[in-house]
Amino acid sequence: MPNFWSRLRGQLFFQICALMGIAFLLVFAYTPMVGIIIAFKNFKLSSGIPGFITSEWVGFKWFAEFYNDIYFWQIIRNTVVMSLLKLVFTFPIPILFALVLNEVRRQAMKRSVQTVSYLPHFISWIVVSGMIFSFFNEQTGVVNHFLVSTGLADKPISFLSDPAYFWPMAVLSDIWKEMGWWTIIFLAAIAGVDPALYEAAVVDGASRMQRIWFITLPTIKGTIIIVLILSIGNLFGGGLGGSNFEQSYLLGNPVNNGVSEILQTYTLKMGLAQGRYSYATAIGLIQSVISLMLIYLSNYFSKRFSGIGLF
Amino acid sequence: MKANGIRRTMEDNVIDIVIYAILIVVFVMTVYPFYYSLVISFNHGIDASRGGIYFWPRVFSLDNYKAVFSNHALLNGFGITISRTVIGTFATLLFTGLFAYSLSYNKLMFRTTYITLLIIAMYFSGGLIPYFILLKKLQLMNTFLVYIIPLMLNAFFTIIMMSFFRELPHELKESAKMDGASEMRIYFSIVIPISAPVFATIALFAGVEHWNSWFDAAFFVTDKDLKTISFMLMELINKANLTAVQGGGGDVERAATYAAQTFTAETIRMATMIVVIIPIICVYPFLQRYFVKGIMVGSIKG
Repeated sequence: MPNFWSRLRGQLFFQICALMGIAFLLVFAYTPMVGIIIAFKNFKLSSGIPGFITSEWVGFKWFAEFYNDIYFWQIIRNTVVMSLLKLVFTFPIPILFALVLNEVRRQAMKRSVQTVSYLPHFISWIVVSGMIFSFFNEQTGVVNHFLVSTGLADKPISFLSDPAYFWPMAVLSDIWKEMGWWTIIFLAAIAGVDPALYEAAVVDGASRMQRIWFITLPTIKGTIIIVLILSIGNLFGGGLGGSNFEQSYLLGNPVNNGVSEILQTYTLKMGLAQGRYSYATAIGLIQSVISLMLIYLSNYFSKRFSGIGLF
Repeated sequence: MKANGIRRTMEDNVIDIVIYAILIVVFVMTVYPFYYSLVISFNHGIDASRGGIYFWPRVFSLDNYKAVFSNHALLNGFGITISRTVIGTFATLLFTGLFAYSLSYNKLMFRTTYITLLIIAMYFSGGLIPYFILLKKLQLMNTFLVYIIPLMLNAFFTIIMMSFFRELPHELKESAKMDGASEMRIYFSIVIPISAPVFATIALFAGVEHWNSWFDAAFFVTDKDLKTISFMLMELINKANLTAVQGGGGDVERAATYAAQTFTAETIRMATMIVVIIPIICVYPFLQRYFVKGIMVGSIKG
């Protein structure tokens, strides 16, 4: 095929660039995907990458072992509950905030509050957890000091170690960190609403709440659904920022372990800390499979009921 | 939507009050934790451990910052983080940019295959353990390169850049080609300059990722001299976490052992945090008009 080769030569530069990227993907993305099979094998680190293939098969041994792990139900519960809590509480807030910002007439004010609101997105969970530790510290933190000195609490509350506070803290800090960032998407969608619709509504005597309810919300429905699908797909990974792992890892401690241990932190513990590579890969695989199923399911149902889907 | 000519109703006024109240609450809730950290970082350490500081340092002191800037490990951590941020961001822009540019070329042979491979890599991953084994076998473990190479290509950035390149006017490239410029030359001397917005956005995203990164430093590197500042901060914070668990005057006890000093682990932590945050605060407002468009493209098309 002379045509084939001459075309290829004509786009040599592009092909080289593309193939460099593909080579990268093969090494750093696809090799680990092949590596998943060690979840069904008895893998030893000494056997190296060929060990992905050569080590002996053990079937579902590691999955069964995880199921019988005394922490199994606790970890599954924590993973599911934390994700659901975040979905329920953190998903609607950026939408509400976008609606609020959209009603602000003074552009300068709108812009400055918005700019400030997504600053936390750029700050790492490390810094955020550092702030949490100093803010909510039992002795020195400003929150407890305030609560005690105003008589709202008769003694300091152990926000950081009492397991009862872990989930609320995780949800609230996630909202604090990512709310402004997700608002960008909804605000951009709102900006796409045809102003003529509002004018017509005003002429018809629609109140402001009615305009929000009957014009703004329906027109951004598509965006809302897409973000919802993305969040559901991320459900097991973590709320808006996909950050259950960092929160659980950084805010987790021996006392709140019973509520903070999730699939990802357990994978890390079993794999990197204890060197049980096959076992940890099996646990990680459960996580990815559930996430994948969730994104497919939510996409399927959203297509079915609203005609909107990611793929 | 102009308010002119529309009679303001009672409802309008109520909504406005609610809206401005919400804006103030959001503003204060976002800014105050930063401000509080700043205040504590400028307070005398042992005094801070008495608690009750709200808006202003009670005993002003620069000792926390002096301690941070005279600590060799922390300074080294900053050095590593600055190098990886500069080199890593540059490497990502170069590599991801070229990849995205080639994929944006409509007549590229096997383009669909390449893009499919990219999208699959975006949604599926092998998970942590196989990735860890790979890095180990590639001998990247415990080298500076483990901070740079794995982040050189990012699927999400590729999609954003590709969408941007596809919208560029064809004529510019065509006329340069007529003048005999090579494709590489066209990319570096024409495409890059007119694509400043997307490069700025990706530079911010990649830069922030590098700046904040601690996971690779924690698990892929054991050499103390290669640890990043975020990792060191995490260690400082982990100690605080344990103190919180032990309860009962942990900070006071710690303060007592440091009685001769004017700073505590807590105030050092706050000063380090402030130093880590400042570069980000300085950069992101200037780039916001670019990345607003960027995340739209990424979230909707991706």
